[in-house]
Amino acid sequence: MEIRALLKALWRNRTGPILIAVQIAIVLAVLVNIAYLVVGRIEVYRRPTGIDVDNIFWVMSQGFGTHYDQSTAVSSDLAYLNGLPGVVAASATMTVPQNPFGYNWPFSTVPGVDAPKAFSRIMLMTDRGPDSLGLRFAAGRAPHADATTAAPDPISAISRWAPEVAITQRFADTLFPKGDALGKTLYTQGINKAAKIVGVVALMQAAPGSGADGDYNERVVFVPGIPPGPTAMYLVRTQPGRQAEVMVQVEHSLAERVPARFIAHMETLARTAASTRSNLKSSSIILGVVAWMVLAVTAIGIFGLAAFNVAIRTRQIGTRRAIGARRRHILRYFLVENWLISTAGVLAGCVLALALGAELSVMFQLPRLPLYYCAFGVAALWLIGLGATLLPARRAAAVAPAIATRTV
Amino acid sequence: MSRFMLLHDLRLALRSMWRTPVLTALTAGAIACGIAATMVALTLYHARAGNPIWWKSDQLFAVTLDNRGPPGPGEQFQRHPEYPPFLVTYRDAKALYQSSIPTRSVRMFKSRTIIEPGSPGLAPFAASMRVTTADFFSMFDVPFLYGSGWTRSADEGPDPIVVLSRHLNDKLFAGANSVGKLVTLDGHQFRVVGVIDNWMPEPKFYDLPNNAFAVPEDVYMPFGWTTALQLPNAGIIGCVADAKFGSFNELLTQDCNWLEYWVEMATVAQRQRFQRFVDNYVRDQKRYGRFRRPLNNRIVNVSTWLVMNDVIGEENRLQVGLAGLFLAVCILNTLGLMLAKFLSAAPVTGLRRALGASRRDIVRQHLIEVVVVGIVGGVCGILLSWLGLTAIRVLSYSPAPDENPVHLALVQSLYHMDLTVLLVAGLVSGLSGILAGVYPAWRIGRIEPALFLKSQ
Repeated sequence: MEIRALLKALWRNRTGPILIAVQIAIVLAVLVNIAYLVVGRIEVYRRPTGIDVDNIFWVMSQGFGTHYDQSTAVSSDLAYLNGLPGVVAASATMTVPQNPFGYNWPFSTVPGVDAPKAFSRIMLMTDRGPDSLGLRFAAGRAPHADATTAAPDPISAISRWAPEVAITQRFADTLFPKGDALGKTLYTQGINKAAKIVGVVALMQAAPGSGADGDYNERVVFVPGIPPGPTAMYLVRTQPGRQAEVMVQVEHSLAERVPARFIAHMETLARTAASTRSNLKSSSIILGVVAWMVLAVTAIGIFGLAAFNVAIRTRQIGTRRAIGARRRHILRYFLVENWLISTAGVLAGCVLALALGAELSVMFQLPRLPLYYCAFGVAALWLIGLGATLLPARRAAAVAPAIATRTV
Repeated sequence: MSRFMLLHDLRLALRSMWRTPVLTALTAGAIACGIAATMVALTLYHARAGNPIWWKSDQLFAVTLDNRGPPGPGEQFQRHPEYPPFLVTYRDAKALYQSSIPTRSVRMFKSRTIIEPGSPGLAPFAASMRVTTADFFSMFDVPFLYGSGWTRSADEGPDPIVVLSRHLNDKLFAGANSVGKLVTLDGHQFRVVGVIDNWMPEPKFYDLPNNAFAVPEDVYMPFGWTTALQLPNAGIIGCVADAKFGSFNELLTQDCNWLEYWVEMATVAQRQRFQRFVDNYVRDQKRYGRFRRPLNNRIVNVSTWLVMNDVIGEENRLQVGLAGLFLAVCILNTLGLMLAKFLSAAPVTGLRRALGASRRDIVRQHLIEVVVVGIVGGVCGILLSWLGLTAIRVLSYSPAPDENPVHLALVQSLYHMDLTVLLVAGLVSGLSGILAGVYPAWRIGRIEPALFLKSQ
C-alpha cells in the first residue's frame, strides 16, 4: 500500500501528529490506572459483609449518675427490644460493626507468651449477638455468657472472657488450616485466658476493605458478655420492611424505660456502612469523571487534527481522486494515518502506564497493574481514534475530483 | 497607536473565534476542564496541607518512644514499620513530665463525659472531653473568650475546674460569661474557669492519631482527674502484644500506649538536652525488660509530625498527580487545535503579510486570540471547579440532622476554594495558555507570504 508515502507525508507535518501521539500516550496511562483503581474500589464496595445490613439499626443508650446500673438496664432493654413486634433479634454490643474502630486482639492456638500470634477483631456481645447481625453459622452455635453483670470498662469486659467463643471462618482458616477449628481451644494474649470454640460463623466483615486488608477485616472473635457501662449499644434486626416502624417506636419509648439515661444516637446500619465507604464512593466518582473527561478531550483533539488535515489537503485529495483513487482509498488513507499515530501513542502509553502503575502500587499497596488492562486500554484508544477520524475521513472521501481543477 | 492596535487585534481575534464557533468552544472547553480538574485537586490537597500553627511549628514537638515488642509478622504490612508508636504509655508520660528541660510540657488524651445541665428542659448529653495538663492552652496558643486555663497545681489537686468550648458555653449558658458557674460532669460538680473562643486548627495537629479532621473537644479537664475518676479513653489504645492487663490500674502500669505527649522548646540546646534525657530514661527502663528494640525515640516538630501521620494521604496526592496529567493532555490538545486552526487560515495570514503586516504583528494578533480563549476557558474552569467541589462535598458527606454546626463548618472548609487556590488557578490558566498558545502563534508568524499567494 501507500504506507511509505503516508509516512513521508506524516513526517513533513509532524508537529500535529506528535502532539496527538503524546496526548494518547498520557491518556492511555491515566485511563488504564484509573480503571484499575476504580475496579479495586468497586470490589471493596461490593464485597459481601455477611451481615443483614439493610434490616439492622443501632441505638446508643447513655447512662449517667449513680442511679444508673448497666446490668439491669441492658437485661431490661433487651427483654423489651426482643419482645417488640417486627423485631427478629436484638443484642447489646461493645462496638458497632462496619466501622474501622474496634478492639483488635492477639490470639494463638497454643498457650504461652511466645506462641505465634494472629490478630483479630473482638465483638463483645450478648448471647443473641450473631443472630441480631443476621450471621450464618457454618458450624456449631452462638457462644453463651456465664457472667450476668457488666464490667466497669472495655478492657475488663474483654478480660472476663467467657469459657466459650465463636470465630469467623476466615479466622478459623488462619488459625486452623486443617479446618478443624470447632471444639478447639483459643488462647488470648494480654489477658491470658483460654476459651473453647463452639461456633464458626460463615462470614462477617468487621470493616470494609479489599485484598489482604479485606481478608484481615473478616477475622472476628465473638466473645459473649455484657458491654461495659454506662454506654450500651443495641443492635436491632427487624423483619424486612418494618425497620422504620420499629425505629419510631424505640425512639419514643426506650429512653424512659430505665432511669438516669438518655438515647445518645440512633442510626441504621446501612447508613453506618455507607458512611465508612463514602470516601471510596466519592473518590471513584471523581476518578471516573476524570477518565471520561480525558477521553472526551482526546476524542476532540483527534477529531480536530483529522478535520484540519482534511481541510488543508482538499486539493491534493481532489487530485488523487482525479488520477484514479477511489473513495475508499481516500477513506482508508486517513484512517490508516490516524491508526499509525494512535499506535505510536499507545505503544509509548503502555510503557508510561506500567511506570505509573508501579508507582501507584507502592502508594496504595496494591498488586501490580495486570497487563490485560493495558490491552483493553490499547483497544479502547484505537476505537476512539478511528471513531473520531471517521467523520473527517468520510468528508475527505466525499471530495469531488473536480476540486483539483479549481482554486480553493 | 498601540491601544488602537490592541483593539484591532482583539477585533480580529473575536472575528476569528466567531468564524469557527465549535472549534473555539472545544478549545476553551478543554482548557476549562483541565483548569477545573487541577483546581479541585489542589483545593482538596491545600485544605489538608496546611500547618495550623506554623508560627510555632519549630518549637512544638511530639514525643514518641519505641516501646514495641519484638517485630511481628504483621509489621511488614505497615507502611512505616520504622516509626515508633505515636502515643505513649501512662507511666512513660508521667516520667517524662518530671523533666524541666522543655519550656512547657503537656500529657493528655481524648475522653468523653456526660453533662447534666442544671436547667430544666435540657436533657443530659454526651460531650467530647480532653483530659490534659495545664500547659495545653498556652502551648497551642488557644484563644480564650472568657477566663483562662489553669495552673500546674490544679492538675495535681486535682481541682474541680473545667474549661469549655464556645459551642458548649452557648448551649449551656446561652453564650454568657460562665466563669465561676458550676457544671455537672459524670455526676461531679466542676467550676468553669475559662471558655475557649472559636478555635479550629486544621488539621487537628495535636490529635492526629485519632482523627486529623475532627472538631476540638468541648470540655477540658485537669489531668489529675484521670485516676481520681478513672476517666475512660475515647481514643486509640495500642498495647504491646504480651502486655498484661484487665483493669484500669493495669492500663496505667502496662505497656499500653494511649496518651499524647507534647513539649515546647525554643532552643536547639534544649532539644539536644531533652533528647538525651529521653534516651537515658529509655536506657534505664531497659533494665526492667521494657523497650526491647534499639533506641528509636523521636521528638519531631509539627510539620514532620503531619508528614509522619500521613495527613495529606495518598488519595489527595493521586488526585493532584492525575489532575496534572489531565491538564497536560488538555494543554497538548489546545496546542494541536490552535495550531490546526491557525494553519488552516494561513492563506489569509499570508495575504496580510504580503500587504505589509510584520511578523510581530501576526504573532501578536494570534497571541491575543489565544489569550482570549485562555481567559474564557479559565473563567469557565473556575466555575466548573466550584461545581465539582460542591458535588464532591455532597457525595462524600451527608450531615446527620442533628449535626454540630462547628463540625459542619469544618467539613465545608475542607471543600472551600480559598484566595490562595484562586490565585494559583489564575497562574495555572495563564501558564497553560502560554504553553498552548505560544508555539502556534510563533509558527504562524513564520508563514512565508509568497507561498500562499502563489497557490491562490
